[in-house]
Amino acid sequence: MSFRAIAAERWRDEVAAELAGGARFAGGWASGTEWRIVLVDPDGAMRALRCAAVEGRVPTIVDLVPAADWDEREGHDLHGLGFEGHEPLRALVAHPQAAEAWMTPVDGDGVHEVAVGPIHAGVIESGHFRFHTIGERILAMDPRLFYKHRGLERAAEGNSPADALVYAGRACAACAVTNSVAYAQAVEDALGLAPDRDLRVARTLLLELERLYNHLHDIGALCAGVGSAPGTMAFATLKDRAQRINERVAGHRFLFRTVAVGTGALAIDADAADAARGALSELRADAAAAWRELEFAGSLQARLNGVGVLDTTTALRLGATGPAARAAGVPRDTRTESPRLWYGDSFTPAAPRAPTGDVAARLQLRAAELEASLELLDGLLIRPTPAGTTTTAAPPQPLGIARVESPRGATLAAVELARGRVTRLHLRTGSYANWPALAHAARGNLLPDFPLINKSFELCYACVDR
Amino acid sequence: MFALLRQLAHTRAEAGLSRGRPRSVALRHVDAGSCNGCEHELGLATSPRYDLERFGLEIAASPRHADVLLVTGPLTTRMATALRTAYDAMPEPRLVAALGDCALGCGILGDRAELAGALEDVLPIDIRIPGCPPAPQAIAEHLLVGLDELERGLTRR
Repeated sequence: MSFRAIAAERWRDEVAAELAGGARFAGGWASGTEWRIVLVDPDGAMRALRCAAVEGRVPTIVDLVPAADWDEREGHDLHGLGFEGHEPLRALVAHPQAAEAWMTPVDGDGVHEVAVGPIHAGVIESGHFRFHTIGERILAMDPRLFYKHRGLERAAEGNSPADALVYAGRACAACAVTNSVAYAQAVEDALGLAPDRDLRVARTLLLELERLYNHLHDIGALCAGVGSAPGTMAFATLKDRAQRINERVAGHRFLFRTVAVGTGALAIDADAADAARGALSELRADAAAAWRELEFAGSLQARLNGVGVLDTTTALRLGATGPAARAAGVPRDTRTESPRLWYGDSFTPAAPRAPTGDVAARLQLRAAELEASLELLDGLLIRPTPAGTTTTAAPPQPLGIARVESPRGATLAAVELARGRVTRLHLRTGSYANWPALAHAARGNLLPDFPLINKSFELCYACVDR
Repeated sequence: MFALLRQLAHTRAEAGLSRGRPRSVALRHVDAGSCNGCEHELGLATSPRYDLERFGLEIAASPRHADVLLVTGPLTTRMATALRTAYDAMPEPRLVAALGDCALGCGILGDRAELAGALEDVLPIDIRIPGCPPAPQAIAEHLLVGLDELERGLTRR
């Protein structure tokens, strides 16, 4: 992959022309005094554009692509770039004291602010939410994240591509495989390496095992959001079973250390594949039975319809991705455009029964995806999977890019290399893309329904904060 | 709901959980920059297969009701104040448990400027729960053994 350089005065026109041609924004990052973005065509082909800042400033594209809002704010806070025309450029990663520096201004009679976090009442990640409410209704909500910012991207710089893998992989336990595969593929893209069949199969298998335990977790968490203890406990148990299968087949409950750069790191022999396939088949029957119970649980179902609606237009405008977007009627899934993986031409993303974009649709879609993942895994585990490797297919380039579908949506990894070292690593996860959509979906809803709406997106903080 | 309850009963029977000596200890968790692995496993430690509550160990919503502060993560600069506030809000006597390798200061990744330093330099650590992340069973065992040892140490003194 190489960059197309565009002068600042042409930046907005070029991006507008790309968007008019059907390209979508997939992420942006600063590198030195330059701003870079990735665009994706409808068929999944990616292009990287770069724009050198003039006196520290780049023209904004946020009015053309609202999905670039967080990227530009991060580019400012972490790398000091200015974005001409992005007004007001509120703090995102930085945590200034003054509320007006980071919060949406809301004013009027009877408007109250409700501050929640960074420490929450349950066992969840740290982050702050600021609600503006009238009575019980949410007028606006600002997520203030990055309490867990560890500077992982900066710390990765200067390492060899193999040594820098851990910074992507350990950014987030729940997306460890996705982030590692995205990083490894980005490096392989830069180095001109192509994966063989075995490596494609092994990584696909790992990604689906990750989706499996995440989706089971998310269904259970959603039950917790309405106080349905049997649903919460049943799906927590199913998730634990999936993680114990992970441990048996790959040696780790979160599948850590199963991905390497340029080669495979996990081989599954015939016995292990057979045992995993059997255990997954039992899990599948119990998960299906548990899901049927939830579908007929009136007190649960009554809480889901029409809550936390993300409509199709807003999902597209804000660049929502993954189950959240698919439940809103955006039938996109990076798995349909992943030639470096093993999904095949017949793979079609699960569709919701009705794309209502509410909590009900997101829950039901996850159940459908769960079934699809188990079907995929059943097919992949029929035979043993050697670790696989890569072969040289193209000359090396200084830039590598990859997109991988995480349990929460499309995750972009971009890697810049020079003299065998990583000079820049950028990870834009499915959660990062979806946080603005969650904040939007919360509007107009009851404040006590926010935990439920939040659980229905179930976004990570760790890989957003990095 | 009957199928769900049957599944849960099966899980309980399969796990063959012992009760152990009951106590009454409230835990409050603070994520000080974790990768979310410890949170996932701590969440499961309260699920039917492990059931931390059978020992009288429960997760409290507020540090004001907590006996033990369970800290995860490498302690980011941005969580340092919130962690201190939570600790200060706890009634005495209070304990701190470092949950996971990051909180124990092992193999921490990140930019030095974003990390506030070792947890044990900020708070006294009474119970150490190693692992990356520690599995639910390990969390339960380390908490119980750690509490036992502290109690013995106190009576000996």
